[in-house]
Formats: sequence, structure tokens, C-alpha cells
Amino acid sequence: MKKESFWEKAGTRSVLASLVAILIGMLAGGIVILIVGATNSTLGLGGAWEGLRLVVAGLFSKGRDAAGNLIFGFNPTTFGNMLFRAVPLIMTGLSVALGNKAGLFNIGAPGQYLAGTAASLFVSLSLPTNVLPTWLIWLIAFLAGMIAGALWGSIPGLLKAYLNINEVLACIMTNWIAANLVTWVFEGSNLKNVLEGTKSGYIYKTSTVMNDVIIDGVRQTVGANVPEGAQVVATRGGVATAKLGLDSLFSGSQVNAGILVAILIAIVIYVILSKTTLGYQLKACGANRYAARYAGIRDRRNIVLTMALAGALAAAGGALYSLSGNTEFFWNTYQSLPAEGFNGIPVALLAINNPIGVIFSATFMSMLQICGQKLTELTAFNEYITNVIIAVIVYLSAFMLVIKTWIGRLRKGKEAGK
Amino acid sequence: MNRENDYVIEMLHITKEFPGIKANDDITLQLRRGEIHALLGENGAGKSTLMSVLFGLYQPEKGEIRKDGKPVKIHNPNDATALHIGMVHQHFKLIEVFTVLDNIILGAEDTKMGFVQRKEARKKVEELSKRYGLAVDLDAKVEDITVGMQQRVEILKMLYRENEILIFDEPTAVLTPQEITELMQIMKGLAKEGKSILFISHKLNEIMEVSDRVSVLRKGRYIGTVNTKDTTAVELSRMMVGHDVQLVVDKSPAQPGKTVLKVVDLHVPSRLYKHDAVKGVSFTVRQGEIVCIAGIDGNGQTELVFGLSGLEKCSGGKIEINGVDITHAPIRKRSEAGISHIPEDRHKHGLVLDYTLEQNMVLQSFEEPRFQHLGFIKFDAVRKYAERLIEEYDVRSGQGPVTIARSMSGGNQQKAIVAREIDRDLPLMLAVQPTRGLDVGAIENIHKQIVAQRDAGKAVLLVSLELDEVMNLSDRILVMYEGEIVGELDPKQTTVEELGLYMAGAKRQQQGKEALA
Repeated sequence: MKKESFWEKAGTRSVLASLVAILIGMLAGGIVILIVGATNSTLGLGGAWEGLRLVVAGLFSKGRDAAGNLIFGFNPTTFGNMLFRAVPLIMTGLSVALGNKAGLFNIGAPGQYLAGTAASLFVSLSLPTNVLPTWLIWLIAFLAGMIAGALWGSIPGLLKAYLNINEVLACIMTNWIAANLVTWVFEGSNLKNVLEGTKSGYIYKTSTVMNDVIIDGVRQTVGANVPEGAQVVATRGGVATAKLGLDSLFSGSQVNAGILVAILIAIVIYVILSKTTLGYQLKACGANRYAARYAGIRDRRNIVLTMALAGALAAAGGALYSLSGNTEFFWNTYQSLPAEGFNGIPVALLAINNPIGVIFSATFMSMLQICGQKLTELTAFNEYITNVIIAVIVYLSAFMLVIKTWIGRLRKGKEAGK
Repeated sequence: MNRENDYVIEMLHITKEFPGIKANDDITLQLRRGEIHALLGENGAGKSTLMSVLFGLYQPEKGEIRKDGKPVKIHNPNDATALHIGMVHQHFKLIEVFTVLDNIILGAEDTKMGFVQRKEARKKVEELSKRYGLAVDLDAKVEDITVGMQQRVEILKMLYRENEILIFDEPTAVLTPQEITELMQIMKGLAKEGKSILFISHKLNEIMEVSDRVSVLRKGRYIGTVNTKDTTAVELSRMMVGHDVQLVVDKSPAQPGKTVLKVVDLHVPSRLYKHDAVKGVSFTVRQGEIVCIAGIDGNGQTELVFGLSGLEKCSGGKIEINGVDITHAPIRKRSEAGISHIPEDRHKHGLVLDYTLEQNMVLQSFEEPRFQHLGFIKFDAVRKYAERLIEEYDVRSGQGPVTIARSMSGGNQQKAIVAREIDRDLPLMLAVQPTRGLDVGAIENIHKQIVAQRDAGKAVLLVSLELDEVMNLSDRILVMYEGEIVGELDPKQTTVEELGLYMAGAKRQQQGKEALA
């Protein structure tokens, strides 16, 4: 038996294929930038060159110097923001990847993400902080989000397992049901942000401190400052994910411990899939449902379980994002679904459904978003250029198998040439 | 030119390697014009690889291909088609929802201004079908026609493209005995019309009947080419396997013990139709005997096994294993109660093809304490176990335990399943067509193991469509016809002809004798 060399390993080829997809995507984006720049009189070729540099290295942009030239270097703020934004993408990416491993296409991540967001917001803004410590409320809210997502995800799972209804259809429907349900629930709640007069359509930040008080026999909610003569009934809010010093490491950014939680969960999912009997069963059901059933593996239970787990993962993404304390949730969401949910699909594809790979592909996606931001901030380009790049990469990730074969052929060609 | 040396295709000194295995090692194959040339070899001997090289699917590392004496390069199937080489694959490449005519002309349509000229195509196909005696219904959809007719469609596809060299890859594996006889006639007719035929098979009697010459491969090597009329089936099997092969199973009389499986008035629904596929079947299987369910395909045997194994819910009746009622138990419980199962469809049920060999070896047993601790798989234990089975049951593969099951040859996939099921060491074994599509060497091996299981006191329920296997291996024969058991026969006292009458429904015994037992 010949031992496979590094280059012959399937894993190496998969990673290479992903990198090629990314490279071609960047190239395509670059060409678009050049064409847009060259044909736009305000930008010109110089502007195109600036745009190109920002798309590739926007993460390291430090704005412009006095002379108006772009300057680059390590920018802790953008770095931290990249990590912060990667958190929901890691979680929805894991959700989609887990489904794919078990042979189920979880396109329901947006709905599950919403379920997690809504449940964690409700819990974190409703439980009284004068009774429970905020860290406990954070934990309960996080778990409540995951449970809500698990329940929401198990609906298409149950439909698939027992009525053989295609999970893609059921997922798309539950997505929109979730969007409407969430709007309806928050509409009737007392969590709409009315303290900041300029805001409408948003829920309180979880870090907002609110006091339920009784003034002249009337119960009402006020902010952190309690007016004189008011009797405080309960204090709520003030919940935020711990920073664990990450904010000083990446000063000025929104990063918090959520990234560590996400990485930890990715590792747990990796271990479950590759080291445990549960992962063995789930993958067997995904690869050949009939053989799994023949072997006495309960395929129906596994379908429901997979969808519940996938739902919990996507929901954890929503919970981590909304519990950070500095994000606001637009509750009037019945006409749109969160992009983080759908972006889980390219994240998983790019990572070839490997949970560890998801950490990197999600961070990469989030970096592209940062680059897009820098592009709009610093040049006359708009951020949609980065969407073009993402789109090309997603498109190419569907061709990953073809690229893999190319790489294989290239190797062979080289060996034959020796 | 001397007909002896009028080669239409020559493959000279072909060598093709895959990681860990030399699939073809210096193989030479010369096909004469107008002959039927059989290519014989065990599973994994390199027949399919050699044909894939001829068809341009693989590029050989060494060797040369000549057409009509001139060297040619075949880079892809289009090159092969241009050289008038056509192939009927073992698994047909037809579009189920298209009509027969559309399937035949697909990819070679004559068009006028973008419109397909069906009328002319139909005339041409009808002519071909008449000339070669290939009866097909041109307007039927492929999904509605029999397997035999699907094969004739595949042959017509080759003829429509005016192919001169026709490759048949194990064409009889899916056919009934009548259809096989018919195919032999068709092949002889084609050869007479000047077509050159390469016939890949490991069924010796078919090769003896139809071929002019035979080339034998063994483990990737070329053993030799002989004239069929100068050789015998025994001689060929020795060339193929490398040692003498027993074509008849050697076993002592059965010594049945106590009842292991008891089936009473079992009904199992049909997946295709509204009525039951198994209608009130009763029988027992005892320790130390091989009971064979014989019958023509589609008479309820598959559903009976599904009912017993739990893959299908029974609609009535009772199943007992060693006195325990398992009629409504889930598959896992039945397995624990004592059923091992070599399934009929090894790709659909028997293996997770994308899993490695070792992962497939523990498909049922991965939750046993020896293979897991607190839900974590003991990879070392699984590896050791798989290595032992591979060694004991001679399962051959490119990379041992980590070979992906999909990349293994059919025979070795089957060996892996048989190894797994026998090693589970359970009181009852359901063996459904355990030797389907295997070569003589592998068949002999599996038959021996089944007899050894019987002698070790196991109860074996064998389902087979092969009359030779039924007569050779079983201690008792139950014949199924239209979902019922119509007769119980003793293989020593009956003849193939009598068995055939029962199978065709022309004869039946009174039932009830078994139900009382």
C-alpha cells in the first residue's frame, strides 16, 4: 500500500479548490472595479486602483493621510469588527453544514436565526435584573434562543421524516412564518424602543437599562434615571455579552466573547460529526438513508434531530448577535429575512461542510463585508462591488468539484511530465 | 487477408495503475472481425478497467490500441464513438421518461432546421429492429418496458450509430433465463452480419454457448486466449481462478434442531400495488438447515424478506424468533433478537457507499460497547475489527480499511457484507441472492461460508433466483408464486423441471401442512 502524499490527500485538494474559488471571485470583482472606475469620470484609473487595493486589503485600511493617499496598517477596530460580524455567519454556516452532512438542505436558517433573536431578546429584556444576576439572564436568554431555534427547525424536520415533505419547501415557508410571527409578537410587546424618541421600529438594545416604576399610581417604564417620587417595581435590561478584554485588544470595535463561544461550538460540532456515534449515524443517514434504516438506525429520528440541532445553531447566531448589547433589532421584519441566515449557505459551501473550515470561511465573508464598507467610506464606489465578489465566489463554490478535478488533473499532468 | 489475422481492434500490452493497485498489467486483447470474443475474469480482475481504456474513459500508462491495424489514440468516449465502438453497460443508460425511439436517437438526432426528423429515424430503427430480430415498442416509455426490452433498446442504440464493435458488459446479470436465450440468439445474429462483439462475463455456461474465443484475465494480468471449442468450463474456471474450482457444493446432510424462525399467516403489502405482495405465508426454519425460497423474480420474495427484516410493516400474521414475537418490532430490535441479513440490493441497503470499508463493517454494531465509549467511537477497535474481517474473508481493496466502499469491485463489496453479517454470529441469517453478479470463485467461497453457518447450528433462510444455487445449496425448498408458498420440495427428490412447474404456477401443493408444524 502506497501512502498518500500531501498533495494527493482529498482534504488538501478541497482547501485548494476553495482558495481557487476565492481567487477567481476576487479577480472577477477586480475586473468589475476596473471597468467601473475606468468608465466613471469622477473615479478614473487612479480611483480604480484605490478600489482594487481596498477590496484586497480593506481590512488593513487606516483611512487617508493628510495628502489624501490611502494608508494601510494593522487596524484593531476593523479587525475586531470583522470578528464580531463573523459570529452569526459562523453559526448559520455551521447550521447549513450540519444539515448538508446529514443529507438535508437547511435553507431555513433565516427563520431559525429570527426565532433565536426574538426569544433571546424577549428573555433578556423581560427578566428582572434586581432578582437575577445579569450573567445568568444572559445564559438563560442564550439557551432560550437555541431552544426556540431547535423547535422552529424541527418543524420541517418532522414534516420531512413523517410526511416525506421536501425540507426545502417547508424551510422556506417556515422562514416567512417566522418573519411575520416575530413582527406580530413584538408589535404587541412593551419592548419597542420608545425611550429614544428618534427611533421607531426597533427593539431596545439588551444593554439598555429600564425601570418599571409606579408614578402616581400609574405603572410605566422609564430609563436608567428614576424620577423622584417614583416607586421602582422592577429593573430590566443591562444585559450584554462579556468582553473578556477583547475590546482592549481590538480597541474601538464591537467584538466580544461571542466569537469565542462560536469557535467553541464549531469545535464541538466537529467532534460530534467526526468522533461520535451520533455523527456516524447522522452522516450515514445523509449518505444513504436506506442503508441506515437497514442497519437499524432510526432514520426518522435522525432527520428530526438534525433539523433541531441545525435550528439551534442558527438561532445561537441570532442570540449571540442580539445579546452583544450594542446591536438593535428592527422588529418590523415581516417583509424581509435576515441576510445572515442565507449567507450561511455560501459559508458552508466554501468550507465544504467542515465545521472548522466554517470558522475561516465565515471570517472571510465578514472580512469582505468590511472591505465593502471601507470602499464606500473612502471612495466613490458603492459597497455592492463586494456583493459581486461574494456572488461570484458562491457561484464558483458550486463548481468546487470541477475545480477539484482540475487540480487532480494538473497534478497528474505534472507527474506524467516528470 | 487471412481471417485469422484480420483484427478489427487490438489492445497491445495495456498497463493501467490506480493508487495502491495495478488494475491492468500488460494485457493484450485482439478482436477479430465478425467474432464473439468473451472476456472472462473474476470481479476485480480488470475487465471493466480494460473496457474503460478502450472506451477512452481512462488513459493507459503503457500500451497501444490499434483499429484495423493502425494505431489510434482514444482520449474520450467521443473518440471511441468515432471509431464505431459501442457499449451496452451493465446498468443501462436510458432516460426513463423518454420513449424508446427518443432514447435510441438521443445524441445522434438528424435535424432539419432544428427540428428532429423522427419519421426518418423511425424508419431506420424499424429496419434495424427487423434485420436483427430486436423486437421493441418504439412508442412505449422506457419506464414501462421490461428489462429485456431495455437491453434491446441499448443494442439498437449502438446499431443506429452504425457501430462495428459492440461491447456487452455483463449483459445477462439482469435477465431471466428466457431473455438470456434470446440475447444469445441476437448476439449470434449480429456476429453473422459482420459485427465484432466483445462479451464480458463470468458465467461459464454462457461463454461456452455463445463465444468463438475467450480471453482470460486474473488479478489484472493476462492469462491467455483460447478457442471456445477446444476448451471446457472446468478448464476456463481454472484459468480464471488460478486453482481448481468446485462447481458443486460439497455438504453433509442437514441435522435440523429446534425451530428458530416461525412465520404464521404473514401478509406484507406491496409498494407498487394496492394488494398484498405476500398473502398468508406460513413456514418455519430450524437450526442447522438451509431453507430456500425459490421463485421467479417478483412473486413476493423481496417483500417477504422486507417483512421479516422490518424494512416493511407487515399487514397481518405473526413472526417469532426463538419464541419471541417480533411482528411489530423495529429493525434494531429484530437484529438484537437474532436476525442477520445479507440484503438483495447491496448498493441501496447493504452499504453506505461513501463510507469507508471499516465504517461499513460496523454499520449495525457501532453502538456496542466494544466500538464506543460514552458515544465516542473507538477508532482503534473499529480498525482492528475491520482488519480482521478483511483478512478472514479475503476482502480485496485498494487501501484496506480506509478504502471508500464505492471504489471497490462488486464482488468485494458483497464479500464485505457477507463477512459483516456472518461475523455478527446471530441464530438466523436471511441471505437474499447472496451471490448475485459474482464470479465462480467468489460464489464457491460464499456458498462454503453459508454451509459452514448451517453446520454451526445457524438457521439460514436463502432467497435465490438461480436454479443451480437453489438445487445445490438448500436442504428444503419453498416455492413462492404470486405471494403464496405453493410447494415444499426436497432438493434430493425433485428435479429442475418439477421446480420450474411450481415456479411457473402450473403445479401446487395444499397448504396447511406447514402451518400446523
